Amino acid sequence: MIEIKNITQAYGRNKVLDDVSFAIHDSAVTALIGANGAGKSTLLGVITRLIPYISGEVYIDEHEIKSMKTKEVAKKVAILKQTHHLGVRVAVQDLVEFGRFPHCGGRLMDIDRQKVEESISFMDLDNIRDRYIDELSGGQRQRAFIAMILAQDTPYIFLDEPLNNLDIRYSVEMMKIVRSLVQDLHKTVIVVLHDINFAAAYADYVVTMQDGKIVSHGKVDEIITKNKLDGIFDYDFNIIEHQGRKVCLYFDSNEKDSLA
Amino acid sequence: MRDKIKNLIKLYWKRILIIGAFVILTIISLAIGALDVVNFKDLFAGNELSWKILWTSRVPRTLAIILSASGLSVAGLIMQSISRNKFMSPSTSGTTDAAALGVIIAFIALGDQPGIIQTIFAFLFALISTMAFMSVIKRLKIREIVYIPLIGIMYGGLIAAFTQILAYRFEALQMMQAIGLGGFAKIGSFATVYIIVVPLILSVIYSSRFSIIGMGEDFSKNLGLRYNRVVFVGLLLIALVSASSFVAVGQLPFIGLIIPNMTASFYGDNLKRSIIDVMFFGADFVLICDILSRVIIAPFEISVSLTISIIGGIIFVIYMIGGIRHGKQSQRAAQRK
Ligand SMILES: Nc1ncnc2c1ncn2[C@@H]1O[C@H](COP(=O)(O)OP(=O)(O)O)[C@@H](O)[C@H]1O
Ligand SMILES: [Mg+2]
Repeated sequence: MIEIKNITQAYGRNKVLDDVSFAIHDSAVTALIGANGAGKSTLLGVITRLIPYISGEVYIDEHEIKSMKTKEVAKKVAILKQTHHLGVRVAVQDLVEFGRFPHCGGRLMDIDRQKVEESISFMDLDNIRDRYIDELSGGQRQRAFIAMILAQDTPYIFLDEPLNNLDIRYSVEMMKIVRSLVQDLHKTVIVVLHDINFAAAYADYVVTMQDGKIVSHGKVDEIITKNKLDGIFDYDFNIIEHQGRKVCLYFDSNEKDSLA
Repeated sequence: MRDKIKNLIKLYWKRILIIGAFVILTIISLAIGALDVVNFKDLFAGNELSWKILWTSRVPRTLAIILSASGLSVAGLIMQSISRNKFMSPSTSGTTDAAALGVIIAFIALGDQPGIIQTIFAFLFALISTMAFMSVIKRLKIREIVYIPLIGIMYGGLIAAFTQILAYRFEALQMMQAIGLGGFAKIGSFATVYIIVVPLILSVIYSSRFSIIGMGEDFSKNLGLRYNRVVFVGLLLIALVSASSFVAVGQLPFIGLIIPNMTASFYGDNLKRSIIDVMFFGADFVLICDILSRVIIAPFEISVSLTISIIGGIIFVIYMIGGIRHGKQSQRAAQRK
């Protein structure tokens, strides 16, 4: 289990995380939502030790991360950030092999090769394993990066806006993959999403953030309510139910009339 | 068995080609020279003079070529990976010029010194200058990376001018001349070139790490890599190669830029896969330049630095034009959006 206790992080005077505490549910998808600049990326960075924090504690399976070795953290948590790897000519297979680095330090043993193979076939990358990642479509590239993280073989996976730059078909495919990580591989996944509807449809739990604070945390149905969302996004939502699922309508229902 | 060999050839034909060329070029490089006492007949007959010339002059000379060429190619490769910028290299970012400054300062402060002391000074100056240059470039956030080697060359020019002034002021101009002109003819001063073996071996050991670093800081940290430490090791290797090759043979411009780029078009950017080939390909390139320098106007020879400047310069310009075109294309694409 991952527990975050009283984390505070600031850049200069600007408090980006303000006394954040919560525990992440194991073997579930937790969606992290909130407006731009709410501190979502910073929070993920802090938990995965990309960013040092000012005060507080992060426990991964009861170990405080500051007391853990870098390699040990990398065997527990993996994070995929939205960076552009344009012009990097690395083959899919090589990328997935990078994922084994915390385990083998770059010299692959049989167990490492086996994990690489498993990840490649789980993400259905067999036929493009020799292609360079900068030649792939957005969806394929994202799958290649997920395969790398699978090869890293961590129980906890953090995805920062994995649906950026993906069209709808690939976004749905991606969220299905996220679900299968939990269902088939029993991973714990925390995913930052912009589109609340994806959170509503695919997450088990939702954490909402605003101005560096956690506003609410709970089961999907408890959080995706007009009451809660309006405050967080400072917007007048219209939430309907369709086939038992909640759907947020973003557009202003009066817009058309006023234009006409 | 035959299938196995076929398979190996299919997998490794590029490497076989590069190493095959390397062996042939090495033999040619050893075979040509002002004295024709060194020939196969005499060597086989056990002619003592022939062997002596081979060992005391030809072999160190060829080794110096191979080691400095391989070293500079790998240094460029590492530099490009660390900075995530294809247009970085020791000779286009002031590193070599800083090494020269170090040598002159050693001379001014301590007088005539053996190669090893010169190398230590050259190393320290190269290291500091490279760190400064790379952190400034990172901060400037230049959109068109094509301009970075141009900025680097200007920066190197500034250092070179300062070195010139110092040399003039302290009457070290002759010293300057002696070290500045790259040439493999300075028999007997090659001792420091063997230092390059150390960074070559280390770079192979670190090749996976450098590849991962090339994917970005967060990416590396996610995999448990100590980013800053690996970058620092890379800078140490770059400075060490630049310093010892400069003290031994002088400047070999463009090698660190064009060799990794040419190799990358066949092998991609995974250093673990390409580093051996980069070493041999760099050696091939400089061996060819050296052989040309010595046969074109035989029995005289052109400075190898000059030959490399001409051939390397042409290839460099081609890459630059490609880079500018590419930049314009992506600009246009951005405008369309
Ligand atoms: N390296 C940094 N230096 C200064 N301010 C930063 C830095 N990174 C993030 N911030 C600030 O922290 C706040 C939260 O950023 P971030 O965590 O990226 O938000 P989100 O991911 O929710 O959009 C923003 O106001 C941003 O400007
Ligand atoms: Mg963010």
